[in-house]
Amino acid sequence: MSEVGLLLVSLKIAAGSTVLIVLPALALAAWSWRRSGWWRAIVDSIAMLPLILPPTAVGFVLLVLLGRRSVIGGMLERIGATILFTQTAAVIAAAVMSFPLMFVMFRAAIDSTDPRYFQIARTLGASPLRAFMRVTLPLAWRGIVAGVILAYCRAIGEFGATAMIAGNIPGRTQTLALAIYQRVEAGREDDARILVVYVVLLALTSLIASEVLIGRHRKKTA
Amino acid sequence: MIAIDIQQPLAHFTLEVSCSLKAPVTAVVGASGSGKTSLLEAIAGLREATRGRITIDDAVLLDSDRGFSLPPEKRRVGYVPQEIALFPHLRARDNILFARRDHDRLMSLAQMLELVPLLDRYPSSLSGGERQRVALARALMAQPRVLLLDEPLAAIDQPLRERILVHLRRIRDQERLPMIYVTHQPFEALALATYCIVLREGRVIGQGRPDDVLRDPQIGATTDVDNVFEVSDPHHDRENGITRVKTSDGGTLVLPFDLVADATFPLVVRISGEEIVVFGKRPESVSSRNVLEGVVSDVRVYEGRADVTITAPMPVRVRLTRSAVEELQIAPGRRVWLALRSRSFRLIG
Repeated sequence: MSEVGLLLVSLKIAAGSTVLIVLPALALAAWSWRRSGWWRAIVDSIAMLPLILPPTAVGFVLLVLLGRRSVIGGMLERIGATILFTQTAAVIAAAVMSFPLMFVMFRAAIDSTDPRYFQIARTLGASPLRAFMRVTLPLAWRGIVAGVILAYCRAIGEFGATAMIAGNIPGRTQTLALAIYQRVEAGREDDARILVVYVVLLALTSLIASEVLIGRHRKKTA
Repeated sequence: MIAIDIQQPLAHFTLEVSCSLKAPVTAVVGASGSGKTSLLEAIAGLREATRGRITIDDAVLLDSDRGFSLPPEKRRVGYVPQEIALFPHLRARDNILFARRDHDRLMSLAQMLELVPLLDRYPSSLSGGERQRVALARALMAQPRVLLLDEPLAAIDQPLRERILVHLRRIRDQERLPMIYVTHQPFEALALATYCIVLREGRVIGQGRPDDVLRDPQIGATTDVDNVFEVSDPHHDRENGITRVKTSDGGTLVLPFDLVADATFPLVVRISGEEIVVFGKRPESVSSRNVLEGVVSDVRVYEGRADVTITAPMPVRVRLTRSAVEELQIAPGRRVWLALRSRSFRLIG
C-alpha cells in the first residue's frame, strides 16, 4: 500500500477516535472538577489507567470485551455486526488509549480557570451546565484544543492495542505505526524510514501547535 | 425583609449571624477576617456547609432543618464580589447581558451607571471603577431580590473619577433594591447605609443605626468621627482657588478648586470631626472657607472627650475635649459656629 494511503488510514482512524472521546472526556473532566475526595480519586485513576498499562494488556481486555463470547460481542453478532479486525476496532483501540491524555489535559485546562467565575455565573441565574458551557469552557478553550491535538497525536502513534484487536490489514486497519513495524520486520528499512519521517513531521507540527496554545493559555490565566 | 439566622463553620471560628434586615441599605462592618465575605457567600448560596435559615420576604433560600437549600441560580441574589470577577472573555455588554438579553434594560442600566461608551470594551481595558459599575449592571440585569456588595471601593484607585458611592446611591434610590454592603471602612457605611451590623470573629457584636452602632464605644467599631456629604452643583472660582458646592441636605460648602476641578458631580466628600473648630460666637477673619452657623442637637460624652452633633443645616459631627465642652457650654440647643477648612475635605467616591 502507498505511503499516502497509509497516511490517510492513520489520519482517518485517529480523527474517528478523537471525535469519539471529546465529549466523554469533557464530561468526565467537568465532573471531576466539581468533586473532591475519594470518588474523584478513584474515577480519575480508572480514567487514566490506559496511560500506564501495557497497551497489549488494554488490547487484551478489549479483545475479551468485544469478542464473540462476551455480552457486547454476542449482541453485535446477533445484529450481524463485527467489530474485531475492522477499522472500527482500530478506532476503539486508539480512543481507549488516547482517552487518558485528553482527560488529563482537559482537567488541567478547567482547573486553571478561576472557579469564582463559575460561581458568579450561577448567582446570575445560570445552571451548573450553562455556567460551565458559557464561562468555564470558553476560559479553558486553549487547553481544551491542546488536549484534542495531543490525543490526536497519541491516536496516530497507537500500536499495541490496535495490533491486538484490529490486526494489521493493509488498506483497512494498517496504520503508519503498524506499517513501520511490518516493514522493519520484513527487512524493508528504507521504506520504514520514509514512514518514520512522515510520523515525526506529523507529530511535531501537532505538538508545536499544542505547545503554542498551552503557552498562551498559561499567560492568559497567570 | 431579609431574615438571616445561620451558622457557618469557617477555618478559625464559626460564623453565627442572626438578624432581620428591613433597611434599604445595610452595612456589614468588621475587620478583615471577621466573616463578612462568608456571610455574603452564605446568602448567595456559595457555601455548602451553611446551616440555619435565610428568607427574603416570602422566599425561603435556606432551611437546613428541612434539608432545603435553594441553588445559587434560583436565589435571585445579586452578588458583586470584592474581586469583581467580570467574565474576561466577554465584552462589558455581554457581561451585563449574561443573565438576560434585555437590550432596553441594558441601555437604561448603562445610562444610570454611565457605561454607554464602555459597552464594547473587554474587562481588561477597564479601570477598577468601570469594572465595578459593569459588575453592578450585570447583577441588576438578573432582577435580584437583594444586592450583595463586598468592599465595592476596594478595587478603586482613583476615587475622583469613579464615584462608586454616588452610583450606589442612585441604585438605592432608583432601583429600590435592598442592599447589603460589606466594608471595613465605617465612613462608607455612614455614606450609604441606614442600618448597620458589626461583626467580630463571626459574631454580631452590634446592630442598629450606623450613627449609633459605629460610635458606640462598647462596640468599638470606630473611634473616628467622619462627616460624609454628597455634593453637587459646583461653581468653580479658579482665580481664588475655590469651588462652591451644594450638599444633598441643602447646605453649602467650599472645597479647594484643585481637589474637584476634574471631578464629575455629584460626588461624595468626607471631613473628619477632629478637624472642625467650634466657636461660641461668630468668628471674624478666619482662614477657613467654611464657617457654618448651627445648633447643637446631640452631645455624647466619653472619657475625656465628647462627640457633638450640630445641625448646620446638615448634621455635622465634631469631636471636642471635655474641657472645650465645658468652656463653650456645649449642650443641645446651643447656637455655635463651625470652621471647616476646605483643605481638610477628602474625596471618597
